[in-house]
Amino acid sequence: MEDVTTLTKIQLDALREVGNIGSGNAASALAQFLNRKIDMAVPSATILDFKDIPSLLGGPGTRVMGIFLKVLGEISGRFLLLIPEKTSIKLLQTLIPGCEIEDPLNMSELEGSCMREVGNILAGAFLNALSSLTQTPMLNSLPSMTYDMAGAMIDSVVADMTAVSDKVLMIETSFIESEEDLRIHIFLLPEPKSLTLLLQKIGVI
Amino acid sequence: MSVVIPVGMGELKVARSPATLAVYGIGSCVIVSLYDTKSRVGGVAHVMLPDSSGIDKERLNPNKFADTAIPALYDAIKSEDGVFKANLHAKIVGGSEMFPPTEDFENNIGRDNTAAVKKALKKMGFPIIAEDTGGKRGRSIEFDLESGLIRLSILGEETREL
Repeated sequence: MEDVTTLTKIQLDALREVGNIGSGNAASALAQFLNRKIDMAVPSATILDFKDIPSLLGGPGTRVMGIFLKVLGEISGRFLLLIPEKTSIKLLQTLIPGCEIEDPLNMSELEGSCMREVGNILAGAFLNALSSLTQTPMLNSLPSMTYDMAGAMIDSVVADMTAVSDKVLMIETSFIESEEDLRIHIFLLPEPKSLTLLLQKIGVI
Repeated sequence: MSVVIPVGMGELKVARSPATLAVYGIGSCVIVSLYDTKSRVGGVAHVMLPDSSGIDKERLNPNKFADTAIPALYDAIKSEDGVFKANLHAKIVGGSEMFPPTEDFENNIGRDNTAAVKKALKKMGFPIIAEDTGGKRGRSIEFDLESGLIRLSILGEETREL
């Protein structure tokens, strides 16, 4: 299925449930290693015009931490975590005792690898749940990370998915810790070529 | 204060001084500008991918691909009063690799976009008089059609002009 615009409402609902199951598991993992209560926004599975994606994140120039992983296996895709500045700093201070970082632009080697590990754990938890659901092994690549403008990351992640259509299928949710207003946004973009298999595995095709 | 016109991914815009064409959050995309120094008309194409071959022509958005966006940009700019091909020059910005490759994947879109844009500009005979491409950082630009200068911003670096 190369054209995501033909997805039906039932199929999108099923993909939203995929997001729900994956992010539920990832939220538990996050709650465990932060030892805090984490709330999860209701996931969405939407077909978006790529031009509208940056505005979801506060505009293309918004500074954000991005952790990118590829989903490897028969069902492949891309996994992107976007973490606002304040949350990135708080995460590092929580996970690294004595960490005094003020600007994520100047992260040390240790701080960088700590953030990548956060990505690794969340993606791993998300994909584990999806592997069980679909009975299909799904692994994540090593994470790649940067701190930069949201728009610049989005174009790098979606560019080659938009050759045929301007529309991108995106499963999205966010994790919220309300005491200190920490937020992590999670995006899963299934590769169009493996979408048919994913829909088969979840029984909506 | 002149009007600021934003140019999004896969878009192409042409304007005349006084105006500023602005592109925020450029990653692997390459921004190609053409500017007529005499009439002060300028245009920008926000190229996302190197090559349109193999894409169904009926569904093709020419502004997305280097090989089709640059002819489209020239078509758009030459229809403005007072624009002559001999007065046009190009500047290019972008083509970075935002997420450094790990052992599991490569990511060469930025590099491929830059190479394809240069090839297309050369084919059409437009000189590239300034360039800021590659690297790992995102970029934003404001292209002032009064002066023809592009103000380039990169996080953690001084703003500079191209």
